[in-house]
Amino acid sequence: MTLRTKTLTAVAALTISVAGFAMAQDGATTASPEQQPETAQTAPSGEAEAPASDDAATQEAASEDAASEDAEEPAAEDAAAQEPAAEEEPAADPPAAEEPAAEEPAADEAEAEAPAAEDAAEEDQAADAAPDETVAEEEAAETLPADESADQPEAEEEVQDEPAPATDETAAEETEAQQEQPAGADAETAVEAESAEEPTVAEDSAAEDEEHAAEAEAEEHGEAADHGDGGGHGGGHIEDISFSFEGPFGKYDQFQLQRGLQVYTEVCSACHGMKFVSIRSLADEGGPALPEDQVRAYAAGLAEITDEENGEDRPRLPTDHFPTVSGMGMGPDLSLMAKARAGFHGPYGTGLSQLFNGIGGPEYIHALLVGYTGEEIEQAGSIFYGNTAFPSGAISMPPPLSEDLVTYEDGTPATVDQMARDVSAFLMWTAEPKMMDRKMVGLVSVLFLIVLTALLYLTNKRLWAPHKHKKLER
Amino acid sequence: MAGIPHDHYEPKSGFERWLHRRLPVAGILYDTLMIPTPKNLNWMWIWGIVLAFCLALQIITGIVLAMHYTPHVDLAFASVEHITRNVNGGYMLRYLHANGASLFFVAVYLHIFRGLYYGSYKAPREVTWIIGMLIYLCMMGTAFMGYVLPWGQMSFWGATVITGLFGAIPGIGPSIQTWLLGGPAVDNATLNRFFSLHYLLPFIIAALVVVHIWAFHTTGNNNPTGVEVRRTSKEEAEKDTLPFWPYFVMKDLFALGVVLVVFFAIVGFMPNYLGHPDNYIEANPLATPAHIVPEWYFLPFYAILRAFDSEVWLVQLVSFLSFGIIDAKFFGVIAMFGAILVMALVPWLDTSRVRSGRYRPQFKWWFWLLCVDFVVLMWAGAMPAEGIYPYIALAGAAYWFAYFLVILPLLGVIEKPEPMPATIEEDFNDHYGAKAHPAE
Repeated sequence: MTLRTKTLTAVAALTISVAGFAMAQDGATTASPEQQPETAQTAPSGEAEAPASDDAATQEAASEDAASEDAEEPAAEDAAAQEPAAEEEPAADPPAAEEPAAEEPAADEAEAEAPAAEDAAEEDQAADAAPDETVAEEEAAETLPADESADQPEAEEEVQDEPAPATDETAAEETEAQQEQPAGADAETAVEAESAEEPTVAEDSAAEDEEHAAEAEAEEHGEAADHGDGGGHGGGHIEDISFSFEGPFGKYDQFQLQRGLQVYTEVCSACHGMKFVSIRSLADEGGPALPEDQVRAYAAGLAEITDEENGEDRPRLPTDHFPTVSGMGMGPDLSLMAKARAGFHGPYGTGLSQLFNGIGGPEYIHALLVGYTGEEIEQAGSIFYGNTAFPSGAISMPPPLSEDLVTYEDGTPATVDQMARDVSAFLMWTAEPKMMDRKMVGLVSVLFLIVLTALLYLTNKRLWAPHKHKKLER
Repeated sequence: MAGIPHDHYEPKSGFERWLHRRLPVAGILYDTLMIPTPKNLNWMWIWGIVLAFCLALQIITGIVLAMHYTPHVDLAFASVEHITRNVNGGYMLRYLHANGASLFFVAVYLHIFRGLYYGSYKAPREVTWIIGMLIYLCMMGTAFMGYVLPWGQMSFWGATVITGLFGAIPGIGPSIQTWLLGGPAVDNATLNRFFSLHYLLPFIIAALVVVHIWAFHTTGNNNPTGVEVRRTSKEEAEKDTLPFWPYFVMKDLFALGVVLVVFFAIVGFMPNYLGHPDNYIEANPLATPAHIVPEWYFLPFYAILRAFDSEVWLVQLVSFLSFGIIDAKFFGVIAMFGAILVMALVPWLDTSRVRSGRYRPQFKWWFWLLCVDFVVLMWAGAMPAEGIYPYIALAGAAYWFAYFLVILPLLGVIEKPEPMPATIEEDFNDHYGAKAHPAE
């Protein structure tokens, strides 16, 4: 009899925990895009908990043995513990904005834009960045302003009948108005217009500065072993940087990603494509989180794409991907670059330093961008540029960055180091756009498993106690 | 079923009796679940449940992944990216599956080394051991082919190197290689057949697991003392054992919970730690990576493969004696498969009558050295084959073979074992410090 009640208790504990675990998974993946923590989310979680506590009640009634109470209690606690965990999720969890349907990002993205405060600043940024990039893509060399803006309103009108909050629509109109201005004037006026908004972003850059200070003392693990390892991308000195997205609770810095996007579009995109990254994902919460009208404008500013259905060239839409760039003198695709390189290999090639520093892909990109020695080596007719981070010590890519090459809208000084950091962070996001979702699922899973494991521990202990000749605490 | 005497299933209701006469499925389940299990099993006996979980996890996540994956050289890499970026929860599915393979191998190595230490391979459990080795081989095949599917650089070049091993067989080798690849080189045909086989093999593993469990349920579990359960009567057997359900199910589930906390932390927070950065570069037959490395779980055997280069005198001797038929490459292949073969033959190589390493004072040292050797080989396998590393790998490989072919046969003759407890009950009560009194 006692055996049976214990068994039942154990099964009850297990069921409750598993139910909670499934709920957590569910909340993280499907429920979060809805972005309605008060209504949509609490209802199902309340329902799921009700049967759980019912279970506990019936169990208690059925079991006469005092022994079972012990295991019961934590089970009830577990049910309670699920509540905060499940509920905090929709609030903290970045939405996977494009999940419902790949073809209709606008519907989600519109909802995803809660903070209206930054909109003005961001719109300016996209408005003057977009025309610039078109040329960058097409001519693959220069960054001159161009008169592509005629295409953009069209592109926007196509998508605009989809549901969007009123505020966003008016904002979109503003953007259009701005884009109709002569493109050449944009750069200067936009920066001025925005100076009013600067304080908000300035705080952010102050936070960044702290990071820089912290990073200055960061250790350089794995350096010594790099040479021994030669794992393809060993190379020289890779400096560890404490990016905001590192660690179990790390998050992407939205403003850093926006700056990185600017560096990518104005500099890198001339020679590097990003074929696996969808343009719509720029609106993802947790990513650069651009407003949808900016995303449309940005898409239209990129190189044209050949439509799959009618074979004609048309402007890019947010549902398209970034351009693929290939050909002589062009660089590798950057979509996954931050995961395709390792910054740290040591000690002694064991890779254990990665446990503390991360794998070091973004650090490698940063080190490569700031690692130019100024040396030029001619080899078999091509010129290589000395670089301390590149494995062979010389790379065919000319130094892409120079002081103040881009003008950040948020007023962050565009030093080479700053631009390198920003674009590294941005490329980490393009490589792993679902990182924050994943960490949230990981966190919730770990928490639930800890609760489940604790319950199983107690159950197991109680179950074995009579056989281990220990006194039962009654 | 022979084995430890215990209660068997008794159909109670009319329907149960009706079904039992026609298909004794409930009886089989009952006997399987209520199997008497030595009550002194320690925490190293939990890896079986972890492995069962891994197999289920891999099959479930794998089936869902296959719904979104495209086995074509032009689309495979992009479809994996599509899974991570666009499929609902796809980032978890993909990382659970990739890291699930690592957990699978962590568990299987601990399971195997537990068997080696406690002598679980010895009579009458040789068949269990052999089936286990077959499962391990199937796992290696499945994992290898699964790693090819994302079609990254390491996928492609790993496939090229490993299938090249079969090409090293004299005479028929190249034909076998072409047959395996479906063409002269790794290409679309290879990817397609690997996908097909990667989907098939797990079900073969599942069938082998059933046989594995059947085999050790027939002989009964080994246990840390290596002393057999008393089988003269049900009463005596019950002093040594407890039923698998609920005692060991709960214990195993608790252990599984601990393992999964670590596993989900890795999947959630550092899912790429065990992977190789090069596999985030799409496969390119024209660009060889600077350094081709297999997944970590193959590294010890990869190190053995590379250890026997043409400068080793043994290789030169064999090459000379075989008139050059067995060259260095083929020798390496033989050594690699031989390393697994000697492990599979250990039931007949170990001459000691004492099962458990707990009572074998000298054996213990050699065993722990083998564990260190395994880790060293793993590390050497990850290193480039230059400088001091080939020598380390060679020393490691030499010890691996020496352990199985020399040390185990000799130890059984020269070692003087320590006294063992007479019964499992005695061991259990010694450990828990009280005199036996009947359980409730």
